[in-house]
Amino acid sequence: MSVVDDALGTIFGPEAISVPADGIPTVRVPLAELLSAVERVRGELKHSRFVDVTAVDHLTREERFELVYLFYSLEQRTWLRLKARTDRDAPSITPMVPGANWYERELYDLFGIHFDGHPDLQRIMLPDDWRGHPLRRTEPLGSEPVDFTVTRSVYARD
Amino acid sequence: MTEIANPESRELLTVNMGPQHPSTHGVLRLELVLDGEVVVRCRPVIGYLHTGIEKTFEAKTYVQGVVLTDRMDYLNPLGNNLAYSLSVEKLVGCEIPARATVLRVVLAELTRIASHLMFIGSIALDLGASSPFLYCWREREKILDFFEGMSGARMMTSFIRPGGLARDIPPDIVASISTFVDTMPGYIDSYEELLTGNPIFRERTEGVGILPADDALALGCTGPVLRGSGVALDIRKSNPYCGYEQYDFAVPTGTIGDCYDRYLVRVAEMRESVKICRQALDSLPDGPVQTSDRKVMPPPRAELAKSMEAVIHHFKLWTEGIRPPAGEAYVGLESPRGELGFYVVSDGSGRPIRVHERGPSFANLQALPKIVEGGAVADVVACIASMDPIMGEVDR
Repeated sequence: MSVVDDALGTIFGPEAISVPADGIPTVRVPLAELLSAVERVRGELKHSRFVDVTAVDHLTREERFELVYLFYSLEQRTWLRLKARTDRDAPSITPMVPGANWYERELYDLFGIHFDGHPDLQRIMLPDDWRGHPLRRTEPLGSEPVDFTVTRSVYARD
Repeated sequence: MTEIANPESRELLTVNMGPQHPSTHGVLRLELVLDGEVVVRCRPVIGYLHTGIEKTFEAKTYVQGVVLTDRMDYLNPLGNNLAYSLSVEKLVGCEIPARATVLRVVLAELTRIASHLMFIGSIALDLGASSPFLYCWREREKILDFFEGMSGARMMTSFIRPGGLARDIPPDIVASISTFVDTMPGYIDSYEELLTGNPIFRERTEGVGILPADDALALGCTGPVLRGSGVALDIRKSNPYCGYEQYDFAVPTGTIGDCYDRYLVRVAEMRESVKICRQALDSLPDGPVQTSDRKVMPPPRAELAKSMEAVIHHFKLWTEGIRPPAGEAYVGLESPRGELGFYVVSDGSGRPIRVHERGPSFANLQALPKIVEGGAVADVVACIASMDPIMGEVDR
């Protein structure tokens, strides 16, 4: 644990590191350094197994989407979290980590985050002609109108 | 019909398998490009069961959220309750009584057995053997009867909650679980008699759908799929939660990662689950099953008549719900299908601003084209069954 923390501090600088309630060390990187950070996390820090990527929509912030990557080390048996903020575009890690493919498609579909360099960036959960991105906090909560052809003119959104 | 077809000009055929195909385990559609009987390309199309559960979480209190978790992986409802509860408990920082922790292990392992029974039954059924399904269903019914007896619901129990359990398990049900756990190894033997040595079953699964360990890791596979490829990663061992470090159990692994290996791993895992259940029931302590933290669990009914403070806690909890401090938490655990974890983000209010489920089926299903492409179209069915995806969890 402490070995990882020390290594994290020397690589990313101590001010980028935090440890939230669940005890998983968290590194915040600028979006421009995301790809190199993923490379270092998987290489030098040996957290090579990709676990998850998701996003959190902080509506009031300047760069509203926070991308949250999770990696796991088979040797040290620990998780490591990587965070970067964006307002719409982000580099895709799929060419490096094939397992991120569907996860990035899901974020594209439900949050409208565009991943540059993704091999197959299309909607995954919703139909291709769906309008909007439901997990954005600007979308109505708990009152999504049911999409029937007869209600389309009533609830039509742009 | 005078010309003989030129073998050089292959004619490719695109076929939709699903979404209403009985062996796609829910509503999964595969776009298969076939060259004769050989699958050239496979593209899974998902989303048919998408119900926006992650969005719904944002409108619910933390306790109401438990009910949604059941409905994701509906063959592992108690495991999902547990994963979500562990994340919320990490956020709140509350202690769980020993009895609740041990009972959680028993329930999680019973659910694992029930889920693997469903797997064995359905892989056999998909490959044309209908009797194992009936035998597996018989034992699964017994487990569902326990769930019904303790919670009133057979599948969507919502029994494990942040702060402990919904209520204690009645002693007669604990006794019947204990009897069941003693008889289960005999039943597992009988399924193995039907399938493990069965030449037709082996013919259909051995060497079919091989997933090398490197690919499994790169594609994010976990659970029996990854262990079938020979990587001994089990979160119960590597990052123990709920006191799994106290129990003695093995992590079965396969060798080459074909469908047969994945089947063997799951059968062996059922035996290990039975062992864990036995040890947990033997060490079951007495005591409460809910935390005494009144910000998480309501006070007992009797206290309400005597204590004003209890009334206030009761009122606050059922109107505002649990209010964890601002922060985030992810707790990974080993579900019957692999690494399951809920990433819960709180802004300090009574409702989460984001709940994301890292479900094992989603990642495992991503590896399906890898094992299907290059094989025969008839083997696609065996491959899907051996990945054991639950579409409720894939689509959420």
